[in-house]
Amino acid sequence: MQRWRGLWLIAALSAVTLWLAASGQLVLYIHPRYIVFTVIMASIALALSLAALASPRQHDDEHEPPPPRRDRMLGLAAAAIAAVVVLTTIVIPPATLSAATAEQRDINSSAGDDPAALEAASSADASTVARFTVREWASILRQTSDLAFFADKPASDVVGFVTPDPESDDLFYLSRFAVTCCAVDAQPLGVPVLLPGWSGQFDEGSWLSVSGEFISNPVATSTLPIVLEPTSVEQVEQPSEPYLF
Amino acid sequence: MTVPPLSDRASGVGLDDGQHRHDERPPFRRARGVHVAWALGGALLLTALVIVRAVTADNLEAGLPDALQDLLTLSTSVVIESLPFIVLGIALSILVQVWIPESWLLRILPRNPWGRRAVISLFGMFLPVCECGNVPLARGLVRRGFTVPESMVFLVAAPILNPVTIITTHQAFGFDDGILVARLLGGFAIANILGWLFSKHPDPTSLLSGRFAESCRLDDDHGHDHGQPRSRWQQSLDLFVRESSILLPALIIGALVAGAIQVAVPREVLVSLGSDPLFSVLAMMLLAFVISICANVDSFFILPFASTFLPGSIVAFLVLGPIVDIKMLALMRTTYSTTTLVQLTTIVALLSLVLGLGVNLLA
Repeated sequence: MQRWRGLWLIAALSAVTLWLAASGQLVLYIHPRYIVFTVIMASIALALSLAALASPRQHDDEHEPPPPRRDRMLGLAAAAIAAVVVLTTIVIPPATLSAATAEQRDINSSAGDDPAALEAASSADASTVARFTVREWASILRQTSDLAFFADKPASDVVGFVTPDPESDDLFYLSRFAVTCCAVDAQPLGVPVLLPGWSGQFDEGSWLSVSGEFISNPVATSTLPIVLEPTSVEQVEQPSEPYLF
Repeated sequence: MTVPPLSDRASGVGLDDGQHRHDERPPFRRARGVHVAWALGGALLLTALVIVRAVTADNLEAGLPDALQDLLTLSTSVVIESLPFIVLGIALSILVQVWIPESWLLRILPRNPWGRRAVISLFGMFLPVCECGNVPLARGLVRRGFTVPESMVFLVAAPILNPVTIITTHQAFGFDDGILVARLLGGFAIANILGWLFSKHPDPTSLLSGRFAESCRLDDDHGHDHGQPRSRWQQSLDLFVRESSILLPALIIGALVAGAIQVAVPREVLVSLGSDPLFSVLAMMLLAFVISICANVDSFFILPFASTFLPGSIVAFLVLGPIVDIKMLALMRTTYSTTTLVQLTTIVALLSLVLGLGVNLLA
């Protein structure tokens, strides 16, 4: 029985991976550019697993002396933990990373400075600006605190989830995770939104669509120079691709 | 099912196929039906599992605390990201062990030990698998008669000196700050120094984990005369079963620990150390150890940090990460002993530190 453990683990994981791909939820875990590769290899693993079940058994196990008791217990414990983890991937619904992780990973701490993007943004027309996501705004806010830059550039329908600002209760971050490879490397990005008393209206982690103007930050306890003052805030469904790629 | 006997296969169980086949046939047929039933049962079970998955996804509200849910998401993400590479690694390992004549691999190697190790450290150029896939390959090489230190040279160098890694690192960094060059030369140097150090070991077999050494010994001294003759396809499937049983629990536990540490340790603790020449290198080495992502893609991960961290620390991340991290230690433990892994981790960490500090001084 022992030698079939891994086969069941790999077959179950491959089946779950293929289901995630079919239901469009593989992007909760990995960057879309790896989906084709992942699906191909999962299919191969599944085919090999079934072929291995169909192939006549090899009885060389009988010649092997049984491993020492300690090793056997360790192997059993490892297999049991692995089985539990695989079971959770089968019964627990797939989920995106939470606002707690966004906070813990320090919003905007590792966003890249991209001078070319700032340059392009300064000459962008209104329709381009209207398509800016949390990623573009966070990058621009990181690089400039010149109010004149934002004069004719309103934020329109920017979608993200609510993460509290550790410095002030009047502000929250409209945030998204940027993913370069897989959820492990998700970097939280955020646009500070000025909305005193927001915590009475929205839960942490709820998804919003926000439009508004950028203004000089009136909150004394906050070190941020510029914040978004919303003209409209709507609660929305979590997007099917919650991460920015 | 006809397998021509091959003269250049030194240890294969299918060598004397021809003589035995006739008297094996009737029981073999009957057994065949049982195994087809097994496969059908397996397929049904997996289908049932996918149905359960689809139903629970729509109807179950897990309501787990954030930290637990994120732990699951992160661990699953590491597993899903690594799984295709593990499958590729097992497939290449099967290719090396069952389908490629032994003489091919050994003929191209120089006799001189330094030359041998140097050539082995370039194997990754035509076996482009990231580090988790290299574990089954390295195991295959040991079974194919490579020495234990040579398998380590391959394991350490291949994920770095590998076309996919070189392309992605170049895409991320270009030739800026010598990061690409330092990564490649550093990986090559560390692999060869490590191989040389371990080649001084009086009893290299003791570097292996007990179970793996035992299974290699069994491979060597039986197989010619026991059991039914196995075709190459059957041998390949046997290897797939064996490697997946050993690697999958290790991968999943490695992913779980890596996920747990990421949930527990605030990222800002590491980021705040970015501009110090020494601490930035140490912080990045720690990050590489914890984050456990594959060498083929880690350049994209680390790119956003390049604005806050010194180049030497980025190089240390890119050199240490592919060789030693939580997931890799769990995987490597299937093959090498704990003592060996402690020594390997120490040597690689010290060399990466020196490399990182060197780049910081020069850049």
